[in-house]
Amino acid sequence: MKLLRDLFRDYRFALAFVVLALLVGFALLSFFSPYDPTVWGEVPRDMRPSAEYWLGTDSNGQDIFWIATFAVRNSLIIALIAGIVSRIIAVSIGMVAGYKGGTWDRVLMFFSDSLLVVPLFLIIVMLAMLLRGNLSLVTLGLLLAFFGWAWDARLIRSEILSLRERDFTQTAILSGTGTARLVINEYMPYTTPLIFATLINNMAWAIGLEITLAILGLLELSTPTLGTMLYWAISYQAILLGRYYWVLTPIILSVLLFIALYWLSVSVSEYLDPRTRIQRVGAA
Amino acid sequence: MEEIILRTEDLQAHYILDVYGKSKVVKAVNHVDLAIRKNEIYGIAGESGCGKSTLLKTLVAAVDPPLRIVGGKVFYRMPTGEVDVATLGAEEKRRLRLEYIAYVPQGSMSVLNPVTKIKETYQDFIESHLGAHMKQDAFDLARNHIIELGLPPKILDAYPHQLSGGMRQRVTIALATLLGPTIIVGDEPTTALDVVVQRGVVQLLKNVQSNLQNTIVLVTHDMGVHVNAADRIGIMYAGKIVEEATTEKIFGQPEHPYTQYLINSLPKFGDKTPRESVPGSPPSLAELPPGCPFHPRCPLVKDICKETMPGFTQIDRDHKVACWLVGEGDHGKAA
Repeated sequence: MKLLRDLFRDYRFALAFVVLALLVGFALLSFFSPYDPTVWGEVPRDMRPSAEYWLGTDSNGQDIFWIATFAVRNSLIIALIAGIVSRIIAVSIGMVAGYKGGTWDRVLMFFSDSLLVVPLFLIIVMLAMLLRGNLSLVTLGLLLAFFGWAWDARLIRSEILSLRERDFTQTAILSGTGTARLVINEYMPYTTPLIFATLINNMAWAIGLEITLAILGLLELSTPTLGTMLYWAISYQAILLGRYYWVLTPIILSVLLFIALYWLSVSVSEYLDPRTRIQRVGAA
Repeated sequence: MEEIILRTEDLQAHYILDVYGKSKVVKAVNHVDLAIRKNEIYGIAGESGCGKSTLLKTLVAAVDPPLRIVGGKVFYRMPTGEVDVATLGAEEKRRLRLEYIAYVPQGSMSVLNPVTKIKETYQDFIESHLGAHMKQDAFDLARNHIIELGLPPKILDAYPHQLSGGMRQRVTIALATLLGPTIIVGDEPTTALDVVVQRGVVQLLKNVQSNLQNTIVLVTHDMGVHVNAADRIGIMYAGKIVEEATTEKIFGQPEHPYTQYLINSLPKFGDKTPRESVPGSPPSLAELPPGCPFHPRCPLVKDICKETMPGFTQIDRDHKVACWLVGEGDHGKAA
């Protein structure tokens, strides 16, 4: 409880938490949706917002409010899969490469550097084209995870390289701490803010890339995500026809999602770092 | 003669570096024979860069490239008999650390993990020896130990940066002595502290030693700490021990010219004459002068000094010197 109270003292955390909680609640509403998100024409097309259809309906004959709940849910699922899986890869590769050094380092960093220099976007687009038919939420999340770990593995490796040379590592080793325990108990707390910040950044990146792929029409377009919603709105010329409620819904939702994730990442990493916490609280 | 707990035999540890394709050998520990006894505080003194810290690393068997042991051996006296450290496996070495031989680092900012509380560091270290299922036991052990050493138990809840330098140093000493090790190795444990705090830290070390009846190897360039703490002192110069004697003899009748300079450079009450320091600067350990490494700086240099390193001359039971001025060195060799 004390932890939450401390965190909420930061207005960014409070705001981001409330927004994210609202968005998650919004996504959970999808379970109570009266409509099937994959079926078109369940409601009249192109209705303006009204008491019956709160955000109107789109040209596919779907209720924008309910489809948006599915879209947020699916986008969050993709982002979480991509974020968590790529964190697991990045942390283990970064730590082994950083701590073991030598051949381990060279081999692992060869793979991560290869991923860094290839034009990721083009390859993801190509793979998405090939896989399009069976690109479910999970496979898309895994695809993004596979391409999203390289920068962060390097970041964590460099952190471990620096930690390895610090005196407290010597203290720990000369007090009989084994390698696994050293890395997990002594280095993990140090890298947690970093891992958390990169996790949230990576989630934001995954959502952004998902939207990009969807706008290019490379995803399974019958699954509602923030990206596919935008795709349909754009392909039916929603802006030209003045159907702002349609195009603005996914835009505003994604902007809120990005801001919430970003502020959460900044605020939590500041909280987890005891040195900046001391400055903030003002204790000695 | 008392029991010898830690012994090195003709120990040579070199840093083997590869500088732009040319290999360079830094002879940081060069033929060192130590015999450290049970229940004593053994001081190792010398200038910066004379190999003190490297010697310590070899004593705790933390030898990582580029440092290599090129000759000689280190022996620990275990209850079961004398053990050559080189024959120990990684897991055995890990167990011995903190239980048998503990290391007190210089208590600077970074020797304790800055993002974990002191008690977590203590718990981690205890658990890596007693097993991970004893979280509460580990905490109680740490707390009792802290109180025993006269430190306030609330420091356990502090982060390292919240403690003063002296307190941090005491915490590291408490950490090293948690499991009652047989040997404690201190690497300049008083260097970053002011003299008042130094006194407290030295006192703590001495208390720990007299409680545990164990052995402390104390490395520092601060002769004031040595005179207060050590029972015997080895003077190290350019990777070699050049003189070894009890503290009274080192300070009372230093025989090696280098030791004489060290002792004479100490300030004395009522004596206002300027102190003389050793002329010149310490030699590079990568390019040692031939013969006695001190000869370029020695005011009493003889021809033989430039050619051969003298062996140890045993002046009396507890005092040996490696210098041509004192004797031929027929009682054991240094070179």
